Amino acid sequence: MQEATFLILTALADGSQHGYGIITEVRHISEGRVKLRAGTLYTALDRLRADGLIGVDREEIVEGRLRRYYRLTPDGTAVLAEEAARLHANATAALRRLNPGLAGGTA
Amino acid sequence: MSEQVALERSYRRILAWYPQSFRAGSEDEILAVLLATAEDGQTRVGLAEAWDLVRGAVRMRLWPAAPRPRSVRVAVKLMLAGAAAELAALITVIATLGSVRAAVAARDATAMQAVHLHQVTIIALAPVAIGMWLWLAWANGRGQDWARPLSAACFGLISLSVIAGLAQGAAAFAPATMIAAAVVWTLGLSSVALILTPAAGRYYRPQPAQQ
Repeated sequence: MQEATFLILTALADGSQHGYGIITEVRHISEGRVKLRAGTLYTALDRLRADGLIGVDREEIVEGRLRRYYRLTPDGTAVLAEEAARLHANATAALRRLNPGLAGGTA
Repeated sequence: MSEQVALERSYRRILAWYPQSFRAGSEDEILAVLLATAEDGQTRVGLAEAWDLVRGAVRMRLWPAAPRPRSVRVAVKLMLAGAAAELAALITVIATLGSVRAAVAARDATAMQAVHLHQVTIIALAPVAIGMWLWLAWANGRGQDWARPLSAACFGLISLSVIAGLAQGAAAFAPATMIAAAVVWTLGLSSVALILTPAAGRYYRPQPAQQ
């Protein structure tokens, strides 16, 4: 899973968001490191919707423009949980090898 | 405000590159996000932004996100198997070229010309057939609507060649190639049947503004 995809799913993990909301959430989650652009975001959303990992929560018209809110589907939640566990395990292994003395203590 | 109109127009020019199915449902939405992330006073699309949008358009066109139904996935695999079967037949014919000729010459020299023609035909046509199988597998996998009639037409050609082979009595002197032909014909029949199912039909003609 690409990092952008992982962060988009993470942005939706605790509630629905619209496109712009996802961009700001992703920037916040990655501590300013990942600045999603609209093209990348919508290519990813298109694919995630087709794969059934996200769905449309609701639509609103704000200042004459369509605002669509996305949410995780149960499949999306499962895939995100699995990927997070995998990354967590990898990161734990890396830290354990870098700091043998701290093994187990902080993980 | 005129700045925003100019900016919106230049965004729309790039969004025109996206597939119609995406634009119908999401153009205004992505435009709103683009305008929300634009700098104050920005009137033109930035280079990095334009690159990101064009890349997204190319990706959506080359790898449409619509999930392939199972029937199409299986049909694509069968078509790849068809290419592999043709390749196996080609290799077999080339490898046994001499021994088959020797056997036929020893048994019935009058059949030599038919055998020669048969071998030359396979060696000449197999690469074309392999190419067609691969091309159709790719096109069907992408949901190109023209790929379905073309696949059906190719299956018709395979059927004709099998009938012609039978009529020439190829079964008598080249049972192995007739078995290969039967395998290829079966792969053709099943893959064409799969891409003509109603479930596959929806993949080839995706509904605009799909949910």
